Amino acid sequence: MIALPIVILWLGGLLLAVVDGTRKPWGWIASAIMAAAVIATIILGIDIYENGVREMAVGGWSMGVGITLRVDMMGIVFAVLSQVVLLVSLMYEVINDVGARIFPALVLFLGLGLTGLVFTGDAFNFYVFFEIAMLSSYVLVSYGETPRQFRAAFVFITVNLLGSVLFLIGIAAIYHTTGFLDMERIRDHMPLVQENPAILTATLIFIAFSVKLGLFPFHFWLPAVYTGTRPAVAAILSGALANIGSYGLLRFGADIFPRELDQASGVLIFLGAASIIYGGHQAVSRHAANEVLAYSAIGQVGYIMIALGIGGPLGWAAAILYAVLNSLNKVLLFLSGSLRGWLAGAAFAVGAFSVSGLPPAGGFLGKMALFQLSVDQGHPELVALIFLGGALSFVYMFQIYRRRISEASEEDTSPVAVQGLLVGLAVLVLVIGVYPEPLLSIVEHASLALPEGLFP
Amino acid sequence: MTLLFSITIAGMFGTGAYLMLKRDLIRLIAGMILIGNAANLFIMASALRTGVAAILPASGQMADPLVQAMVLTAIVISFATAALAMVLVYRVYTSHYSVDLQRLSAAEEQQSERDEPESEDLQEDIEDDTDGEPSEVYATAEGRP
Repeated sequence: MIALPIVILWLGGLLLAVVDGTRKPWGWIASAIMAAAVIATIILGIDIYENGVREMAVGGWSMGVGITLRVDMMGIVFAVLSQVVLLVSLMYEVINDVGARIFPALVLFLGLGLTGLVFTGDAFNFYVFFEIAMLSSYVLVSYGETPRQFRAAFVFITVNLLGSVLFLIGIAAIYHTTGFLDMERIRDHMPLVQENPAILTATLIFIAFSVKLGLFPFHFWLPAVYTGTRPAVAAILSGALANIGSYGLLRFGADIFPRELDQASGVLIFLGAASIIYGGHQAVSRHAANEVLAYSAIGQVGYIMIALGIGGPLGWAAAILYAVLNSLNKVLLFLSGSLRGWLAGAAFAVGAFSVSGLPPAGGFLGKMALFQLSVDQGHPELVALIFLGGALSFVYMFQIYRRRISEASEEDTSPVAVQGLLVGLAVLVLVIGVYPEPLLSIVEHASLALPEGLFP
Repeated sequence: MTLLFSITIAGMFGTGAYLMLKRDLIRLIAGMILIGNAANLFIMASALRTGVAAILPASGQMADPLVQAMVLTAIVISFATAALAMVLVYRVYTSHYSVDLQRLSAAEEQQSERDEPESEDLQEDIEDDTDGEPSEVYATAEGRP
């Protein structure tokens, strides 16, 4: 039952790897497999919502010996989010004709990696799923196979491989200092570890995940890659793959290194603020829409980092909520930005409103949660920063939108089906904004999966 | 023993980092492989105890088998990544006729210059990319084998 989504995606990926994915029927079968995984994950999620954390040891080993799969609400939130993003991007590409036979299989394998890493309770197993996701994305970035995509893929593989190596060293260090690989036991034994090794390990892992997220000092690879790849791949990278970063920071930061996270809270808030200002500033001064979106992605992760820096159950909830909304916004913008036609324009407008944090779009909730958090914790400077960031994002989103309108032409409109897909996603973002209670309750539940930490 | 491990890991990591700063993509890959293997050695060094080979029946204290299992997995992964990176270098070579980073960044700059005038229009931008029409850098290199 727990492993069902993973098994569906794994077998589906294997099947799709041997067939010609450029044919429409196979593309739709891949989408159906992805949708089945989403449904299986949601069913598992309902069970966990009602009955609490589920865990099992794989391979018939007894608990404590074998690798554990442990799923809590936070894992479910990120798994469903990544799978939905992948499903939308896959359907977008299938409707627009897939350009490479391996594309649907790679998307399924990426889904396998992303689902696996949020389902696992074992630190080294986390690394393995992480690498499955990364390997698929290395190939995905070169999808399109023009010189530009190969350059983007090369930048991506070099930087992210370094990030993975740092993470691997971090895992080995955790094993050496605590003697465990099971995350729950690591958490119990981490307070006994001396301060210096613990801080060094936490820093390594922080850097590894920040590279994935594209946080300010580690962002240098991001614009070149996001602008170089196809829109569907850019949507997958910013909507699904970046979740590794947010999830990893929450899981390892809040769960395993609460003491170190508390000590570093000032640094995190500073980096988050730098990210927001740098990303917003660069995005305002760019012209090409996908370049603006790439810098906007750097700015948006800053908000997640601030929520993480403030910490506490409210901080975790704000970080999860912001990560969810940010992923949906980015997918909506990257995909609808590449389409023509008034439906896609409307979807783009919803995404633009959402990024700027204007009601009734969903992004408003994320900004609102952060705002409330900063007021509660008495950080007037963060309130000002959130306003400034929101104003910057409003300016750059408005600039892109104005260019879209002025360039709009009647002749070339994209197929209605693909526009409809994005309108569906836009409606989802609007519904979240108008009727947020279900999402808020799920996110609150998810944040309870993390310990309260050392915060008052 | 720990000192020996540390020195070796530091040497490998340092050499790898040095190679990664080179202009030549092949050296860059070699640097990546070295750094990956330094990490593998680090896993071996993080073993909790040393002893005889971890095969039953054991005579005396066994070496920590868990790090060996981990390093085996990590070696397979780094091998796959290295192979993929080499394929990518080959594809970069066939599309640019060069594995020199400076030539690649020159091509990148030309691309963004070509983008600039039509940057107002994302759709054309993307269509341009997918056409993959050779820009001047590739055109000048076309005479090469």
